[in-house]
Amino acid sequence: MKITKGIILMAGIALFAGCKTEEEFDGPALTDLYGSFAFIEDFDISNRDVDFSADENTYFTASFTKNVDWEIEIKGLTSGAVKTLSGFSNYLDADNATWNGTTTLLPMFRAEECAVKLIIPSAADTIHDTLTVSAGRINEGFLLSDFESGVNSGWVPFVQSGANMNFGVVQSDNASQGTRYYNMAGQVNWDWLIGMVDMPGSAYGDVHFPLAENADNVYFNTFIWKPEDYNNGLLLFQFREDDNEDGVYSTGTEDMYSIQIAATTAGWQQISSKYSALPTLVNGSPAAAFGNGLHEPNKLIQVSVLFLANPSSGFSETRLDYMIFTEGAALNP
Amino acid sequence: MNTFLIKVLASAACFVGVQQMQAQQAEKKFSINGAARGLFYGDNLDQDVAVEDSITIPKLNSGHVLVDLGMNIRPVKNMEIQAMIRVRNDYGGFWGSGVTFDIRQMFIKGVIGNIVRYQLGDINYKMTRYTMWNYNQELSMGSPAVFAQQNDLLNYDHFYYKDNSWRQQGGAAEFALVFKNVIDEMQFHAVTTRVKASDNSSVNDRLFSGINIQLVQSKYAQFGMNFVSLYDVEGTSKNDALYRNPVLTGTAAFNYGFKNLLFAADAEFGRSKTLYENNEDAPEEEGSFFDAGIKANHKKFGITIGAKVKRVDPDFNSPGAQTKRIDFSSFPTSYQRITNEQVLRGMSMIDLMRETSLYNMQLQAYLMDFNPNYDNITPYGDATPNRMGSSFSAEWQSAKIPVKVKLEQTMLTEVRGQGTTEVKNFDRTYFEANYEKKEFLPNWKNRVAVGVSYRMDKTARPGTDFYQDVNLETNVLNAGLEVEVIKNLDIMLGIQSVEYSGFDFRARVDEYSNVFNFEEMEVDGKESMLAGGLRYRFSEKSFLSAQMSKFERNDYTENTTSYSINQIMLLYQMTF
Repeated sequence: MKITKGIILMAGIALFAGCKTEEEFDGPALTDLYGSFAFIEDFDISNRDVDFSADENTYFTASFTKNVDWEIEIKGLTSGAVKTLSGFSNYLDADNATWNGTTTLLPMFRAEECAVKLIIPSAADTIHDTLTVSAGRINEGFLLSDFESGVNSGWVPFVQSGANMNFGVVQSDNASQGTRYYNMAGQVNWDWLIGMVDMPGSAYGDVHFPLAENADNVYFNTFIWKPEDYNNGLLLFQFREDDNEDGVYSTGTEDMYSIQIAATTAGWQQISSKYSALPTLVNGSPAAAFGNGLHEPNKLIQVSVLFLANPSSGFSETRLDYMIFTEGAALNP
Repeated sequence: MNTFLIKVLASAACFVGVQQMQAQQAEKKFSINGAARGLFYGDNLDQDVAVEDSITIPKLNSGHVLVDLGMNIRPVKNMEIQAMIRVRNDYGGFWGSGVTFDIRQMFIKGVIGNIVRYQLGDINYKMTRYTMWNYNQELSMGSPAVFAQQNDLLNYDHFYYKDNSWRQQGGAAEFALVFKNVIDEMQFHAVTTRVKASDNSSVNDRLFSGINIQLVQSKYAQFGMNFVSLYDVEGTSKNDALYRNPVLTGTAAFNYGFKNLLFAADAEFGRSKTLYENNEDAPEEEGSFFDAGIKANHKKFGITIGAKVKRVDPDFNSPGAQTKRIDFSSFPTSYQRITNEQVLRGMSMIDLMRETSLYNMQLQAYLMDFNPNYDNITPYGDATPNRMGSSFSAEWQSAKIPVKVKLEQTMLTEVRGQGTTEVKNFDRTYFEANYEKKEFLPNWKNRVAVGVSYRMDKTARPGTDFYQDVNLETNVLNAGLEVEVIKNLDIMLGIQSVEYSGFDFRARVDEYSNVFNFEEMEVDGKESMLAGGLRYRFSEKSFLSAQMSKFERNDYTENTTSYSINQIMLLYQMTF
């Protein structure tokens, strides 16, 4: 009888446990689909005077009656930089709405006033606010140049003697970072090359650039600008390696990797490339490596940037800003 | 010292259906079997529209004559070969046009070494209600004979036998061990079928395999282990995303008699896992279930009462048991577009009875679409996921008068809510009564059969300020009468109706059966079919039937067009 009672008790417990409903549910919440929208807590900003250079950040807070698609747009009133945060939730807090000073649309934020918009499309509701960036974000990495203090004296520029040649640092509110960028413009009828700059490692105090050994961890990043009026420009970045570590690059026997960019969208854009993915190019086409074929950023001896255009295509122009090597990931400006 | 004997199973528990045909063939080396029919439909469509439909042709005639010609060959003892071709000619197809020749079925079966029974080719196979079971289509339960004739044609064409087996192509084998002590018998069944063929490009070969081990302890107790798996075969295409769905279940059944009382208890429990290897978009899901019931029968009073409890997880996935016969995402071919706007006509009750193109024969990896107006509670039979609760039944069969009465009450809820933690409640009341007497009066020894069935389904869930209550109700009524007026000539009358009204949020699911949205569904409609006809039975295997019927579909919400179809049907059918 004891066994029978035990079995009945266990069966009863199993049935009771088996008949419990789950606390989760399938699909989107019906309240989100059919409920009305309202603010429970008003939109607010945790830090209205944020110094990103001191590793500060700011986050936005609010809560709603239902889950909605939301978007926060922060626009630098001086730089025109735009940062967008978005999500689907019934609240904003540090987990889903933190801004660390990065940019969605170049340029980068600088010390400036910013307009903040909270947009909720389904509720046709937009909240406006402001905050102040007292200092922009400082990115970790080896900076080749941001042109804020002119051109490195160790660089070797070469500019053809064509028409309307304009190579040099320009001060402008339209820089992608800070207030200066490097301009490259002109017309050369007899050659693809309009002008170039060699940036040897010696310009930074050593033969080789101070980069990590693992090419999978090293990224080259820069901002380039394409004018609306000209589509003919080509930017060619060259990375020369001193394979035998004799302190000199030997043409044709040591590696030279390249990035060739024909920008298609007008305005500033970011170029980032993992060092290990850099190809060897000959006249723009992939080719066999000249040297040992190993990507060795720690043996990088010179970076060159060449501005090219078809000689028959006329005047061309581009801008360059904020060249930086980063480790571990591409630049998040 | 021998503790067991190996024997051929006396009756194949798993591969079924085809045996029916061979039972009569004795030991002839060669025999012909098959079936033949002539079928004609004359339809007339009448639409309830404000502006007369000047585009749709209201009268449609269709029909065909077909012969299924089977050759059964027994080249040696313990081997049998069956091949059947179908020759079909649609009415109106002359001089060969409209004539089709198809292979309807082929198999080889036999016994190896008087121990292992095998079958290769076409196989009708079933296992348990949660592993491999071909549940009946909607609205077919309790259908009067006048309508069942049409349903029977569909079922025959799609190999939907009454044993709820699935027609598959592959191989199966079985044998048994008989023991002297402790247990009576152990049966072993195994099957592998090809569900989908590779296209040598992006579609992998998909196989279904199953193993069933049945332990018959005595006449009082039986235990089983079932394993089925639907899976893609790696390397059969360039697609490295591989579907996997293993399902493991256990069963137990007990019987015990005490004086006039017979007690029976049975249970099945198990677990499934569903995933796609090398496909990050596909979720990996695991689900379990249990289903247990008891029944008590009083032989003297003819009363049987039963109770059942079950729980099927929302993520329990068993294609062998959850694949539906009807593909509710398809559209009927007759009167496919109606009204001046030529909108697609949705599937209705009359189409379920006769539209062969709506029916499915292939096991589906994920849940198929269903029509909540017809069945919102058990659209995938007992294996419907996300259901738990209990049911109670009572049956009475008189020993003195040929009457059977059945009453069943089912109370289920969702296991996991949809769009809210509040779960839906499902209540079903089913009543069925049948009377059949072969010699109705002492001086009028003809057959009379009367049947009536009624099903009432309710789905309910309270709403909130933001969304409304769910309150969907479906009522299905069947009533039929068969009277043998003179020897072998029957008058048949029947009515079938389904009414649905209320509101529900219909889950929209992605290709992996995951809910991604809800659709508001407000319905208020009725479909009914009234039919009368004559049937002359030439023999037990052949009859001629003529009937007229009127089908009406009314949508009181006016979201779709209401219409009626008057149908004349002539059917001659025989098996040989």
